Amino acid sequence: MQIITKEVKDKPLTVTIEYPERTEFVDGLIRKIESLDISFSADDNGRQLKLKLAEVYYIENVERKLFVYGAKEVYRLNAGAAELEERFKDSGLVRISRTCIMNTDHLKEIRQLRNSRLEAVLDNDEKLIVSRKYLKDIKRVFKKG
Amino acid sequence: MSIKKLLKDSLILAALMILVVFAVSVIWSGVTEEIGLVIRLFILAFMITLANTLLDEYCSLTMIMSYVVKYFAISALVLLYGFIAGWFFASNFWMAFIYVGVVFILAYPIDSFRVKKDIEYINTQIAGRKTS
Repeated sequence: MQIITKEVKDKPLTVTIEYPERTEFVDGLIRKIESLDISFSADDNGRQLKLKLAEVYYIENVERKLFVYGAKEVYRLNAGAAELEERFKDSGLVRISRTCIMNTDHLKEIRQLRNSRLEAVLDNDEKLIVSRKYLKDIKRVFKKG
Repeated sequence: MSIKKLLKDSLILAALMILVVFAVSVIWSGVTEEIGLVIRLFILAFMITLANTLLDEYCSLTMIMSYVVKYFAISALVLLYGFIAGWFFASNFWMAFIYVGVVFILAYPIDSFRVKKDIEYINTQIAGRKTS
């Protein structure tokens, strides 16, 4: 794969992908680039802000309210759970339990604990409990590339 | 083409064949004893799948505890349904626990192996992502 970059003044950032044949790899690449442009509207103590998907580690549903967790900070998310899943179904976000959606781009490792529970370790060393039921969904994200 | 996919596709095809053959039989000769049994089995399969899904969704237990809870819940469901459908007599109701037990004994190692393989696959992909 060749990567060509060039500066073009007074034009929005444009990514062009040229391929001899549209393969799963190409689809994965397109999804990855599209996901970089996804942003969330969040609330930080009354202050509205936009968060890029890359900044999101996981999203938690606490008593029907959605909270988005970054490397260190937490914000209230301005979206419903159903809307969220629909909008980010092709990104690296994946449900890992009934109340938690994880960004697999920040996943460092999946571990099986002694009591056979599953644990996801993120690159900020935060640990999340993974329900076995959703393990195949995490695997699917990695298969998509 | 994996053996697992072949078996899965064969089972789906067998279920479809049974449904089509019995649907035609219902049109020609109404609900006979055999057709009634297949319909009751489909209803039981649906109820077991629903119970399994709900337990997975709402109970966060260890793998062994999850299997124990499911074993008793599904045995109770089969027992109750079996009595309503007239499959069990007072003398042989305990057979439900054996039927369900055999299925669970077979399913547990398969499930454990699958989880282990999935974890290995995910961790390998993460390692590959770091090096690429």
